[in-house]
Amino acid sequence: MNRGYMGKILIVDLSRKEIREERISDEVYEKYLSGMGLAAHILYNRIPAGADPLGPDNILGFVSGLLTGTGSLFSGRWTVVGKSPLTGGWGDANCGGTFSPAIKRSGYDGIFFRGMSKTPVLLYIKNGKAELRDAAKYWGKDTVESEEALKQEFGPGAKIATIGPAGENLSLISGISNEKGRMAARSGLGAVMGSKKLKAVVLDGKQRIVPYDKAGVKKLSKSCNRWVQFQIPLGPGLGLGLLGTLLRILPTAMVMDGIVYKMILRTWGTGGANQMSVEWGDSPIKNWKGSNVDWPMGKSGSANPDKILSYEKSKYHCYSCPLGCGGICTMPGRGGETHKPEYESVLAFGGLCMNDDTASLFEFNEMMNRAGMDTISAGTTVAFAMECYENGILTREDLDGIDLAWGNTSAINALLEKMISREGIGDILADGTRVASGKIGKGSETYAVHAGGQEPAMHDSRMDPGFALAYSAEPTPGRHTIGSYLYYEMYQLWKTVSGIPKKIPFNLYFKDNKYKAELKQAEESAACSKFTNVLNGSGLCIFGAFLGSKRAPTFKWLNAATGWSKTPEEYMEIGERIQTVKQAFNVKHGIDPKRNKLNDRALGREPQTEGANKGRTVAIEKMLSDYWSVYGWDRATGKPTPQTMARLGIADGQ
Amino acid sequence: MSYTITDACNGCQACAKICPVVAISGEKKQRHVIAQTLCLDCGACGRTCPQGAVLDQAGGKCSLVKRSQWKKPRIDEGLCMSCSICVENCPANCLALREPLRSKDRHLHPFLQKEKACLGCGFCESDCPVDAISLVWA
Repeated sequence: MNRGYMGKILIVDLSRKEIREERISDEVYEKYLSGMGLAAHILYNRIPAGADPLGPDNILGFVSGLLTGTGSLFSGRWTVVGKSPLTGGWGDANCGGTFSPAIKRSGYDGIFFRGMSKTPVLLYIKNGKAELRDAAKYWGKDTVESEEALKQEFGPGAKIATIGPAGENLSLISGISNEKGRMAARSGLGAVMGSKKLKAVVLDGKQRIVPYDKAGVKKLSKSCNRWVQFQIPLGPGLGLGLLGTLLRILPTAMVMDGIVYKMILRTWGTGGANQMSVEWGDSPIKNWKGSNVDWPMGKSGSANPDKILSYEKSKYHCYSCPLGCGGICTMPGRGGETHKPEYESVLAFGGLCMNDDTASLFEFNEMMNRAGMDTISAGTTVAFAMECYENGILTREDLDGIDLAWGNTSAINALLEKMISREGIGDILADGTRVASGKIGKGSETYAVHAGGQEPAMHDSRMDPGFALAYSAEPTPGRHTIGSYLYYEMYQLWKTVSGIPKKIPFNLYFKDNKYKAELKQAEESAACSKFTNVLNGSGLCIFGAFLGSKRAPTFKWLNAATGWSKTPEEYMEIGERIQTVKQAFNVKHGIDPKRNKLNDRALGREPQTEGANKGRTVAIEKMLSDYWSVYGWDRATGKPTPQTMARLGIADGQ
Repeated sequence: MSYTITDACNGCQACAKICPVVAISGEKKQRHVIAQTLCLDCGACGRTCPQGAVLDQAGGKCSLVKRSQWKKPRIDEGLCMSCSICVENCPANCLALREPLRSKDRHLHPFLQKEKACLGCGFCESDCPVDAISLVWA
């Protein structure tokens, strides 16, 4: 029976150089979907407690999604999983590009690596044959050079996931690249790949991916595409910045309909929000200490959406995406191709470091993509070092002569180069803010913005406390792609799922309501994280899901692709199971969920004295307790209770 | 059930040469075999066999068609949503993306870059979610 998934995984032991296939029962897919759900089930049961994330017992997995290749839209996302060396707990990183269908077309729903090779290797799969090959000649090359050289050897049809020098040097903020700069950046999984001496995974499979009801999937996709193509001219990018100003001044906020954000993405990509986010307080400034007052329109104009877009040559679509938020750009000033810098990267190296040089934003983005380093964590770590420098904790001598003043572009450039090569101060900073502040000491911990070791994204938790909760409660902390109050509004889950709080799109409400920390808000956040697990099990993109759960029919696509007849509530329960397994993974590996709480500054302790988030404090302890209780976890410790584990049918995992 | 080869095979190897996933094996002048686990059901072997020795998934006998007359994809850029499913799913890697012909749109559209490599399998047509591709006689 064709159900959209391939029904097997590949296990590669890099110590023994052994490769074997493993069949996965239908029951596992029904309980966990594919993608990250399947991976959570496997890693929870197979990575021994206390395993060194950079040792042979860690398992690094590359998984596709259940809907990938079935004809559903937005289903080109793949996920890398493993025990994170950055947080010590569950680690995952999500990426678009072309690699997700390549995994399934090679015949597998996931490829898992255990053990460690002594010398650089790569995995190559073609025509049903998987083999490990020597990769010594690629070691040391950046991600773009590697991909180009690998395509020379294996042909243009090969789809590649590779690390760059950052992963090779075991930087704990390194990621894995596909398509010359689409990055599975988070959780430090590039370092896990580097520790295993696995330079690349090269896939050239051509197997067919067959859904249960192809016509049914197509019909849903056609209907969804009509919403994607619906577009109203939005005017100049500056207008969005001014809209952000207005939203900051008004005492009320509006329930956002994701169709508006879709139109922004279609026009500019994620960068459409660059200035707007600064203006309304969504984007942290000056290492989370500053505000829009420090970064007015004149400064944030360096990241004006139209300015970024002026370098765009063509749109870039991930596999099966009709939206095309990505772009291929020309490097300012020097030519050559680069991926359009995403919102996160622009703001991490822009406002967070007080850098208003547009060309440098492209340079740093390209530099990080080539090195295989996470722009969010790297930008935050540079901002941390800048504040240390400002306060005399790091001196010019400590920095090998670099004058790391706020906004000094050439200093940022020099520091990033040191971080990539782990040279001098770069060796300390290459592992993110928590490790760096631990080594530097002298009170620098105050400036180290992180949650459980991972740097949060460029969405201010003081502006949307839903982000504070996601940063603090997610098994991989510091993540912005899990949920927020804004995401809950855009997902419009209440239109398809019963028993969750309802909202009215475009309705006005007082901003103060966001800070009340009511149980209903925990229910909204829990619904977001459950749903995100369903998306990641399916290989779907959150930007597609922002259209709303009726317009982007996730649950219906799943039923058509698999032949199941599950209700949306049953799918949400699968999401709940996946989240609980990831939390149980953390508990198994000795992570105290309370320890993952975001640092005080990002929670508004002390509250800011000016700017968009002036006077705001997030009641995170109450929010966490409520959130854990909604999941049926212990509301004091955050650990899944035996009753909840039994209800969800999760085995011990020891 | 994938494509199969009957006793009528004379081992000319035409099918093995065209199979995009190297699923067909056999000695020259001996009966060839299709590996069921590898076969994509693209049908190229059936269209290229001079002996009529290939049976399709349903067991029907395939007919030889001159390669220059195989159907080719025609892409309606008005309907196309630039999702690249067709490009990625093509077993012959013969489709690529380019700037659209009739508009200043920055979204790239697929085109038949390597016409001679096209197998006429129709995967692009059947996999396109918005029916923007149709296979037409060359």
